[in-house]
Amino acid sequence: MRFERSTGRRAGLAVLVIAFGVLSLSFVERPESPAAPAANPVSSMGSARLVSVEELPSYADTCLEAPSDGASAIAALQEQASGSGFSLYAVLNQTVHAAQNGGATNDITRMPVRTIKDSYPIYSSIAVDPERDEVVLQDTNHFSIKVFNRLENTPATVTAATPKRVILGPKTLNEYNNGLSIDKNGDIYSVAMDTADSVFVFDAEANGDVAPKRRLRTPHRNFQSALDEEKGEIFVTIQYPPKVVVYRKDANGNDAPLRVIEGPKTQIFDAHGIAVDVKRKVMYVGSWGNDSTYTVPGTGTWHPPSITVYPLDANGDVAPIRKIQGDRTTLNWMGGFSIEPESGDLYVGNDVNSSVVVFKATDNGNVAPTRTIKGDKTGLNHPASVSVDAKNKEVWVSNMGNSSASAFPLMANGNVAPIRTIRSAPAGRVSLKFGKPQAVAYDSKREEYLVPN
Amino acid sequence: MNTPIIAAFARLAKEDTLPVRIIEGQKTLISRTMHNLSYNAVNDEIVVSSPFNQAILTFRAGSSGEAAPIRYIRGPKTQILGTDYDGNDKAFVDGDNGEILIPVGTNTSPYESILVFDRLANGDVAPKRVLSGPDTLIKGTRAGHAGIAIDPKRDLMVVKSAGGGPLLVFNRTASGNAKPLKAIQGPKSGIGVGGGGGGGGQIGVTPSGMIVTACAGGAICAWSVTDTGDVPARWRIPVQQLTNVAPSGVALNPFHKEIIVPSGARNVVQTYYWPEVFDDAASTTNNNNN
Repeated sequence: MRFERSTGRRAGLAVLVIAFGVLSLSFVERPESPAAPAANPVSSMGSARLVSVEELPSYADTCLEAPSDGASAIAALQEQASGSGFSLYAVLNQTVHAAQNGGATNDITRMPVRTIKDSYPIYSSIAVDPERDEVVLQDTNHFSIKVFNRLENTPATVTAATPKRVILGPKTLNEYNNGLSIDKNGDIYSVAMDTADSVFVFDAEANGDVAPKRRLRTPHRNFQSALDEEKGEIFVTIQYPPKVVVYRKDANGNDAPLRVIEGPKTQIFDAHGIAVDVKRKVMYVGSWGNDSTYTVPGTGTWHPPSITVYPLDANGDVAPIRKIQGDRTTLNWMGGFSIEPESGDLYVGNDVNSSVVVFKATDNGNVAPTRTIKGDKTGLNHPASVSVDAKNKEVWVSNMGNSSASAFPLMANGNVAPIRTIRSAPAGRVSLKFGKPQAVAYDSKREEYLVPN
Repeated sequence: MNTPIIAAFARLAKEDTLPVRIIEGQKTLISRTMHNLSYNAVNDEIVVSSPFNQAILTFRAGSSGEAAPIRYIRGPKTQILGTDYDGNDKAFVDGDNGEILIPVGTNTSPYESILVFDRLANGDVAPKRVLSGPDTLIKGTRAGHAGIAIDPKRDLMVVKSAGGGPLLVFNRTASGNAKPLKAIQGPKSGIGVGGGGGGGGQIGVTPSGMIVTACAGGAICAWSVTDTGDVPARWRIPVQQLTNVAPSGVALNPFHKEIIVPSGARNVVQTYYWPEVFDDAASTTNNNNN
C-alpha cells in the first residue's frame, strides 16, 4: 500500500530517525542469514517519504559519449564530492531538505551493506623517460598518473612505493586512462579510452589536480598511442570500428587526423597495441581478431590475433606488408607495444599469457617470439603494457594484475627476475582488475556476482 | 575494459576481496562493451554478447580461465546488428522459457527490435520471434540499447528503452509491431521523455512483481508491473546521493532480499539490502496516471 503525504514536521522527525538508523548501520554489521533480517530504517519508523529535489547527473548509461562542452563526466562527479565536502552528514542534510517537500516515492537511505572495490592502483600502461630518470604509470582504477624515480626498487618491507608526483583530480579530466607516450620534451600523452574519447597532454612537470595543456578528441574506444618525433605525429589505435588515426603531435580539440588507416584490406580487427619504427619507416598494429561490419547484420566473425605491419605513411584501406599470426606467436589478448629503435625489436605486453614477447624487425607469419620473459620468477601478472628504455638498455612492464611495474634487461629471456620493481600494493597482493564494471549478474547457485569489464 | 574479463566474486565479498575466478583470453571470444550479462539458473549457464563480432556467447556458469563458449549465435540469418558506438552490447536469457533475447538497433533509427532465439540455438540461426516497429515504443540510441527482463510468474517481458524512451511491459511472447501493455515515462517517473532515467539498461523483476532499474538522479527505482503512465516510483534508493556513485546497472538476489549495483564510473560493486521491493504487496494495487 502507498503511504500518505506527510507534513514537513513529520518528515523532519522521520529524517532524524533515519539519520540515527543510517549512522547505526554504518557501524553495525548486518546479519547474513535471510531468516534474520536486519533492522529496517524505513519500516521501523512507519511512513518515510524522503524525496530528493536535487537532480544529480547520471553518467552511467552505457559508454557515455563525452560531454560536448569539454567537461569531464567523471570529473563532474568528483567536483561534486570535493566541492560539497561530501559526507554522510551532507547527504542527510540534503534529505531533510527533500523530505520537507513531500512526495509519493518512498526513499530508502540505507547505505550499502557491502562494497567491492580495489583500494590499490590498476596499472594499464607505462612509459619510461630516461632523460628525466622517471617511470610514468597509468592507474586506470583511480584515474591518476603516477610518476616514479626510474631507480625506485620497492623493498619487500614497504607496502607501496612513494611516487614523485601524482596527476589526479577533476581538473585533469583523466578517465579510464591508458596508452601512455612521453615525447622528447617530457610531455605526457594520456589516452582516455571510454567516456572522454581523447588524448590528454600534460606538462612534463605536471603534478596534482592540473588541467591538461591540450585535449585532442579522438573516435570512441581508443587504446594506445605512439609518437613519431621526426615528423611530429601521434598515432592512436581505435579498437572498434577498427582503425589507426594519425594526428599532428600538437593537434588539439577537434583537429582532424592527417591520415586514417581503415578498411577490409588493412586486416585490423579489434585494434590494441601500436608502435612506430621511425628508422625503418614502419608501424606495428596489434589485433585481437574480433570482426564485424556494424552496418551489416550478421557479419560477425573471428580471426586469430595478429600483429600487422604497414608503411609509416600508410593512409586509407591499405594491406599490411607483413603479418605475424599463428599459434607459435603465443599472442593472447596482447596489450601495449614498444620498439627498441636501433634493432627494431618489437616488445609486446602479452597480457593473458602473462609474458613479454619480443619479435624481430623482420618477423613474418607464424613465428615464435625471439625472446619470451615468462615464469614465476618474473613477477609478471597480466602485463598490459611495455616501454623500452634504449638509453639504459631496459624494458619496463606495467602489471595490471598486481599493481606493479617491473624492469628487465633489454635482452632478458625466459624465467628471470626483474632487476627492479615499483610496487604500489603489498607484496604478493593481486589486483581485482576492475575496468569499468558496467553490469552485473547474480549466480544464485554459487552465490556469486558475475562482473564484466 | 582494458581487458574485457568476466570476474566472479563471492556474494559476501567486500573491499579488496579477490574474485574467485576470471573468464578471459582469446578462446573465450569475448570482446569489449559488455553492458549486460545474464545468468540462467535453470540450466546453470551464462549468456553474454560479444559486441565487436556480432555474436551471443553461452558459457557454463562455472567456467574459469580461458574457457571457450559452449554455444554461440552468429551469422547472417541471426539479424544481429549494432551501432558503431555501442552495438550489440546486451544479451538476456530466460531460463524458465528457454530463450535468449537481444536488443538490436542502428545508428539511424530511433526504434529498436528485440530478437528472440531458442536457448539452444547454435551457429547461424534465425530468431524465432522478433518484436519490432513504432507501436512497440522501444527506443534506442547510437550509444545505448534497450534492457530486457522476464517476469516468468506473470508471463511478462519488461523492456527499458534507451535514450529517453519509456519503461515498457509486454506480454512475454509479444512479436511484430505489438503495443505494450504498460508504459511508464515522464517527469514524475524519472524515466523516459522528460524523466531521464540513465544508469544503464539492466532491469530486474522481483517475485512480488516490482520492476527494479536505474532512474533519474543516479538512483535505483522500483515500480509495480501494474504501473503505467507518468507515475513516481514506489521505492527508490538514491544511490548517487548516498555514496556519490552513479549506478550502471542492477541485479537482484531475491533469496537474501538484496540488489547488486555496479558502477562503471567508479569501478565499484555495491550491495543494498532492500526487503521492501521484495516484500511490497503494493505491486497489485493501482498506481496508474493514465
